[in-house]
Amino acid sequence: MYGNLIDALPSVLSLGNLLAVVIGVVAGICVGALPGLSATMAISVLIPFTFGMDPLVALGMMAGIYNGAMYGGSIPAVLLRIPGTPAAVATSFDGYPMAQQGRGGYALQVAVVSSALGGIVSALVLMLLAPPLAKVTLLFGPTEIFWVAVFGMSAIVFLLGGDVLKGLISAAFGVFVSLVGADTITGAERYTFGHLELLDGINIVVLLVGLYALPPAIGLLEEVRDFDTENTGRLNTTSIWKAIPGMLKYWKTWVRSSIIGVFVGILPGAGGSMAAFLSYNEARRASKNPEEWGKGEPEGVAASETSNNADTAAALIPALTLGIPGTAVAAVMLGGLLIHGLQPGPMLFRDNPEIVFGFMWQFLFAAVLLIFLGGALATNSFAQVLRLPRPLLGAIIISLVFIGVYSINGRMFDVYLMLGFGLIGYFMDKLKFPLPPVVLGLILGGFAEQNLRLALRIGGGDWGILASSPTAKILIGMILLVVLMPLFSRLRRSRKANRVAG
Amino acid sequence: MGFKSIAIATALILSSSMSTAALADYPEKRIDMIVGFAAGGGTDVMARTIGPYLEKYLGNDTSVVVKNMPGASGQIGVTAVAEARPDGYTIGTYNLPGTMARTLDRDADYDADSFTYLANVVNDPNVIVTPKNSDIDTMDKLVEAAQKRPGAVTVAMSSLGGDDHFFLQKLSDVTDADYTVVPFSGSAPARSALMGGHVTMGIINVSEVVAFRDELNVLGIASEERSSLADDIPTFKEQGVDLVNGALRGFVAPANLPDNVKAKLLDAFQKTYDDPDFQQAMRRSGNPTELALGDDFKSLNAEQLELAKRIWETHPWK
Repeated sequence: MYGNLIDALPSVLSLGNLLAVVIGVVAGICVGALPGLSATMAISVLIPFTFGMDPLVALGMMAGIYNGAMYGGSIPAVLLRIPGTPAAVATSFDGYPMAQQGRGGYALQVAVVSSALGGIVSALVLMLLAPPLAKVTLLFGPTEIFWVAVFGMSAIVFLLGGDVLKGLISAAFGVFVSLVGADTITGAERYTFGHLELLDGINIVVLLVGLYALPPAIGLLEEVRDFDTENTGRLNTTSIWKAIPGMLKYWKTWVRSSIIGVFVGILPGAGGSMAAFLSYNEARRASKNPEEWGKGEPEGVAASETSNNADTAAALIPALTLGIPGTAVAAVMLGGLLIHGLQPGPMLFRDNPEIVFGFMWQFLFAAVLLIFLGGALATNSFAQVLRLPRPLLGAIIISLVFIGVYSINGRMFDVYLMLGFGLIGYFMDKLKFPLPPVVLGLILGGFAEQNLRLALRIGGGDWGILASSPTAKILIGMILLVVLMPLFSRLRRSRKANRVAG
Repeated sequence: MGFKSIAIATALILSSSMSTAALADYPEKRIDMIVGFAAGGGTDVMARTIGPYLEKYLGNDTSVVVKNMPGASGQIGVTAVAEARPDGYTIGTYNLPGTMARTLDRDADYDADSFTYLANVVNDPNVIVTPKNSDIDTMDKLVEAAQKRPGAVTVAMSSLGGDDHFFLQKLSDVTDADYTVVPFSGSAPARSALMGGHVTMGIINVSEVVAFRDELNVLGIASEERSSLADDIPTFKEQGVDLVNGALRGFVAPANLPDNVKAKLLDAFQKTYDDPDFQQAMRRSGNPTELALGDDFKSLNAEQLELAKRIWETHPWK
């Protein structure tokens, strides 16, 4: 099999195929950086055009777009606190405060280096470990996936921040949004009010754009001084090659976040945003100064960006071997393979090695290219956007968002829905309700519900099934650890404080 | 040669040239082909594969443009076809039994009379699969296990109200046993859950099993004859179990299509189906083909609606 890997290299290195990856990365960064446009959308738009293309050209572009967009999403997340993609929400936690402090350039450099590293690890894992990891995916039936979702939800606890009640209300709102649409088991309609457009549920991009992009864009229009032009306008960058040595101290976070990203990638359905949230949390927990997080800690940007790129190629492992995509983007890419007659499954590796392994190389190249293209693009072009007059920038964002949301399914309904979420987001912003729990609630709520119900069906209604497999038991142990640890440490601290006082 | 025969010949030539003239009018512009699913899905690939052949056989340098209108498991697209002008410039993909089942379990803005049935092109029979390491590797063993304890056999499948589900209902009737339905959203997750040993058996379609022959036992195929995609899989009929069922994919136009337009389209579909290149392209994308043209397709649809009604009335799934 590794022989096949080498055999596939020459055709990938041909000018056309290489150029496809370069174009893909640049396009991906742009798409990711523009709020409202996502990699899923860009690839769906691309797929019909690839029908007549050489498979490697088409796949190279897709690999480039995927990697590029995962990094690109961090650019507006850092500069404007508007995540360009769902996976960049966690990047904004520390990226935006850094930009406010005039360290936006450094934040973007950390983001691009971390993204590239995550992508490289992910591509190597895909190349070398796809078949054994596919077996790991198979260990995760509905029961185990349910526990993974619960594990992700327990992360919400940490995203609550100051006001616990407001955080929980936000999370509950996210879970509520996940209920809209056809019931995944019986197909019964829930909160659809007879609208066919709502049957498939609410697209995460519609919600994200409404909550995250509209309120700040309105903010840009209503109060010019709301955004600190003095500092964010200046990025204060040095050359990326000079900045890298200073980043080496994040190596532990890079390693940890890569592992988390790959792991979440091989689980069907979770996606880059869960990877980013989880790894942000883990990195903060491991940090010596967790109280600094959320106030401009570069390591937070590193954690989030490493894992959302480490999720990319890994998400293709279940997609290529089992036909179950790990993320929404991988699902669309699967379509891109199908259109070229490439059916997922073990046979794919045997029948079309030059294409499958070529595709893997392209993922690796795309990740490496990020450093060269990402650094230059972000600092030289996108950052200049901040020099635009604020009202103009707000207007541009709003029109981009309209175009992006409309083009998901080509219908106005989604735009109206997005405006509704914009209104909710605007008031949540004013009333200081945190937004990340909404995103996590939407992603994981439906995921947990469906898998819990499937598991109970398999178990014939017996709740014991939830703790029946070794994998499930390990996951339950991990959840208990995550939930109880902070309680114990608080208890110990208060006891210590008592003793000192006594 | 008498005057009469000359007159008849002239009349014949005239009428035939007139009718070709009328036929030649269509198509005068591009034809929209509405696909109710996103680009890259099975139905979309079928539509994009057939497009160029239809262009070729419809002539007039026409172009067939695929328009994806995804949502509500195809219902948005098929509703748009039903409501389009019946002029032959809007046709769409059509999935059975799903499209008819939705008229029962949802409020649909169309029914069986809303369409002109052009051609059903794909017939993807159901198969029963079990994990490779499972003890249940024959139909006899499966039936025995299912009859021993009602509901003990868990069945992974794509969704309720689809071909997998209807097949299970037929299986349940034929084998006089109860099964526990576990509807994953899609065949691939169902197949993966099966490969991981989380469920007892799975019901998928033959096109979804060909790439996984080494990982799964295939107990039988629900078609009249063996499939060309995998001719070593015995039919259920061969094994003495009367089970025929599958997923159908074809093309429809709005109801009341003018006769000449319909004739031209049916002709193009027939010629496309007879084209060896088309057959090869369909095999490459893993689509088992079987043509039902015009009225044959219409009666096939009626049959499927009848089946869906019977199951909906006896075992409503929601």
